[in-house]
Amino acid sequence: MSQNAYLPKLGRIAAIKEEVAGARAIKTFRIEFVNGDGFEHDCGQCAMISVFGKGESMISIASAPHIKDYKQFSIMRTGRVTTALHDLNVGDVVGVRGPYGNKFPVKDWKGKNLIFIGGGCGLAPIWPVVQTAVKDRGQFGKITVFYGGRSSRDIMYRNELEKLRGDVDVHLSIDAQEEGWDGYCGFVPANVMTKAPKADNAIAITCGPPIMIKYVIQNLKDLGFEDDMIYTTIENKMKCGIGKCGRCNVGKDYVCVNGPVYSWAALKDLPQEY
Amino acid sequence: MEKMLNKADLAAWMGKLDSHRLFSPALEDEDVWNYMPVDDAAKVQLNHPNTVRPPKGFVFPQREVLYEYSQVPGEAPVLNETLPDPAPAVVFGVRPCDSRGLVRQDIVFTKEYEDPYYHGRRAKVIYVGQACNAPPSANCFCMSVGGSPSAEDGLDVLMTELDGKYHVKALTPRGADLLAKGGDLFKDAQSSDKAAVEKAHAQAKAHPQRPIKDLGKVAGALKANFDSPAWDEMAKACIGCGICTFLCPTCHCFDISDEVKCSSPCKGERVRTWDTCQFPDFTMHTSGHNPRETLGSRLRQRVCHKFLYFVENHDTQQCTGCGRCVSLCPVGIDIVSVVERLGQP
Ligand SMILES: Cc1cc2nc3c(=O)[nH]c(=O)nc-3n(C[C@H](O)[C@H](O)[C@H](O)COP(=O)(O)OP(=O)(O)OC[C@H]3O[C@@H](n4cnc5c(N)ncnc54)[C@H](O)[C@@H]3O)c2cc1C
Ligand code: SF4
Ligand code: SF4
Ligand code: FES
Repeated sequence: MSQNAYLPKLGRIAAIKEEVAGARAIKTFRIEFVNGDGFEHDCGQCAMISVFGKGESMISIASAPHIKDYKQFSIMRTGRVTTALHDLNVGDVVGVRGPYGNKFPVKDWKGKNLIFIGGGCGLAPIWPVVQTAVKDRGQFGKITVFYGGRSSRDIMYRNELEKLRGDVDVHLSIDAQEEGWDGYCGFVPANVMTKAPKADNAIAITCGPPIMIKYVIQNLKDLGFEDDMIYTTIENKMKCGIGKCGRCNVGKDYVCVNGPVYSWAALKDLPQEY
Repeated sequence: MEKMLNKADLAAWMGKLDSHRLFSPALEDEDVWNYMPVDDAAKVQLNHPNTVRPPKGFVFPQREVLYEYSQVPGEAPVLNETLPDPAPAVVFGVRPCDSRGLVRQDIVFTKEYEDPYYHGRRAKVIYVGQACNAPPSANCFCMSVGGSPSAEDGLDVLMTELDGKYHVKALTPRGADLLAKGGDLFKDAQSSDKAAVEKAHAQAKAHPQRPIKDLGKVAGALKANFDSPAWDEMAKACIGCGICTFLCPTCHCFDISDEVKCSSPCKGERVRTWDTCQFPDFTMHTSGHNPRETLGSRLRQRVCHKFLYFVENHDTQQCTGCGRCVSLCPVGIDIVSVVERLGQP
């Protein structure tokens, strides 16, 4: 961490990819640090992105730690800061401070089957783990990705997901039937139940809207997954990122420091205030 | 180091400290005491009741600029770090409940990452405490949360008023330095002086205060009562004004926002300002989802943070019994009553 954690480093937008259009648009920003002044990160960590004059937002680092040349962030347009980010162009410079938070214990998962379950914008926080597992394919067992969007136009990382097929079992879903869709129709938790992944020697990693996570966890439990085999991330409002401002406090934890990654075993003991 | 100072020499001592900015409690309005710069040392009297605002603002101001930014469209932003480097200050008349509040602030702003803004100020402020002799106000309860009217934690010097004199005890090297600056004004405390101080401290401790039964069991009971409907019931009158947290010597939550001075080219300051868990938008996401939607859940957060979560993390309460949140709440919400009801097994 830099000496003054409040002071951002500068990052130039090297590429922008439109993932999802519409009112809740998602764009993926590739950011390269200016002056080689970057930082390393672990899977699951996040960073505060600044648009000066608008403010800062906490965003998951969506690129894998082994990618050193840039960091990638997939950002949904929701409020003031994220809208300002969506209005930026390649070459524009933003502030980036971090990395913040804990990490997915990927090293402990060697030899295990990994099941990823994402919904909406929730693929971004777990994407570095997917990328890492695919890079070190030999170190893990079977890899499965469940991912769902509201409609076919809401599927982020579409091309990347298609490229995984073969190496990885990919199960895509949309909420309601559309012409030409040959994947699953219905909510993500239901898709998981239909395919019923086995709990033996497996770890499930899920992220998405709170309601989705709730049902996914319930279903995983029904499939025999123990609390310490289920991982998720939580998203509380954040300002400082370093455990001082109190904003992200849940029980004795500050999500910006003790989270955002939690096993269900740890999370279920915290107040459900997230 | 224990010394004696004649009351009449207090102003002379202050006069010798002129390399520092001096502050002392003073009557700001009818019965409103607050810390003010000392402009006439001869007028300073250290027999004030508790100030309305605690002394936390000296190290954690209500508004603080973190840095300035400016950005010409199409170019990289320029950031100008504004770390504080204030002139040294001495704050007189700090009550022990408030200095114990500072210790709680120190924990937060030091753990894991040392906050350079907080510590930039903290290094420059010397706290001269004033033991309480007079009976406490109806809402003081320092003894119930492990403190005392003569507690020394967080202070550099502790002064105790005796007949015509002050007993002045240096507690840190900075404090000893301050006494050394007084030179001949100070006389060594004799055993009779020490006995008088002990007596005064014991008398102050004997004044009755509002009790919290079984402090050690409060955290466990709050955890067990997390889902109690009593939270909503007790918070019913709350108007969410935030006074209870803004005026608390231990509360440290803040917001960070951009104050724009000019939009093209974009110029402004990134500032942090006190904030409070008692405001609904403290936790409200832009989507509208709010993990702490009700007044009851926010009252619970305030009380559990102080008597459960802080204890779990740091083995001490984040309340020093100053009584401000009780006395100054416009609708009479009373943390002692809440703890009595929901913090008892
Ligand atoms: C650990 C973590 C990881 C995240 N990862 C991503 C991501 O990869 N992609 C993405 O699009 N979004 C992510 N978010 C959510 C993102 O931070 C908010 O959606 C965003 O701050 C709100 O939009 P805004 O800043 O434009 O809103 P504004 O209305 O400008 O919000 C003002 C401030 O409110 C806070 N805030 C509001 N809503 C949220 C929220 N839902 N979560 C956290 N803080 C909020 C922020 O501090 C923000 O700066 C993440 C949040 C957290 C806590
Ligand atoms: S001071 Fe009283 S009314 Fe105001 S927020 Fe606190 S408890 Fe509620
Ligand atoms: S919680 Fe209330 S009584 Fe306790 S230190 Fe804060 S303001 Fe004082
Ligand atoms: S964001 Fe400030 S404490 Fe977590």
